[in-house]
Amino acid sequence: MLNTDYQTIVLKINSPLEQFEVTNLLGINSPFFGFFHLNLTNLALYSILVLVIIISIHYLGNNENKLVPSKWSIALESIYASINSMVREQLGKEVYYPFIYSLFFFILTANLCGNVPYSFTITTSIMVSIGLSFTILIAVTILGLSIHKISFFKYFVPSGTPLALVPLLVLIEMVSYLARAFSLGIRLFANVVAGHTLMKILATFLYQMFSAGFVMFIVTIIPFGLFLAIMGLELAVSFIQAYVFTILTCSYIKDSIELH
Amino acid sequence: MLAAAKYIGAGLACSGLIGAGAGIGIIFSSLIASTARNPQIKSQLFSYAILGFALAEATGLFSLMIAFLLLYS
Repeated sequence: MLNTDYQTIVLKINSPLEQFEVTNLLGINSPFFGFFHLNLTNLALYSILVLVIIISIHYLGNNENKLVPSKWSIALESIYASINSMVREQLGKEVYYPFIYSLFFFILTANLCGNVPYSFTITTSIMVSIGLSFTILIAVTILGLSIHKISFFKYFVPSGTPLALVPLLVLIEMVSYLARAFSLGIRLFANVVAGHTLMKILATFLYQMFSAGFVMFIVTIIPFGLFLAIMGLELAVSFIQAYVFTILTCSYIKDSIELH
Repeated sequence: MLAAAKYIGAGLACSGLIGAGAGIGIIFSSLIASTARNPQIKSQLFSYAILGFALAEATGLFSLMIAFLLLYS
């Protein structure tokens, strides 16, 4: 009697979006005291890491008011000067500069931390990106309302429109204003998620090509060079997205202060 | 059946990236042309070009997000 044994083929397709899952690392979950759940997720861990990196960069590069700058303080001062020139060019005054600087540094550090392989990018969490942009929109609206009181709504009527078009135009302008909350955050989120997903897919293919024999290993160096170029593009996208988020925030603050 | 429709929808939604690619090409072509006209303000033009690139790319990536949304939920 033939003893046929068969193998079960497990068809589990891992999606390239699994790298963005927020998982609990350690926590306290108790059914007592009103169902107490306190978890440290990987998102929280990487947020703490970004905070520690930002604070340590600024603390260690301090240079204690010496006249001759050290290498580190030259870098920090040049970043300070470039963001300062951007804020002064857009807004004309430096009141909002600390906020813009910390926003830029936070998004830059968060994106750069995520470019390290096997790490988690906190801006791929939609709560971080859209929460940040939503908060900025609410803050900018409150700023505009507190400066201009009721004539803030003059912003929605562009100058020089015929009177018949005004209701339609006000509606369109209001929708476009409210969409800023989402577009600012989704721009950052989508760029980072798309870049990381692309790298995950390419790395999966490269892994299979690299582990397919000696000749294939040598041949795969060429696609690997392309993958390195895409990794460089990902690095550039981290800088560009931080810069664009910051400059659009400056532009929205400017729109609220001067209503046109 | 639903999974097949999801794949078809995700593939169709990626055609929004055509506009993104065309827009980015237009931005950088005008960067090159304007730098040829006035090389002195190259850095200012480059910063405007990077801002325009990010905005054009964002529109394309909105459609890519719709594709991911269709594919995975």
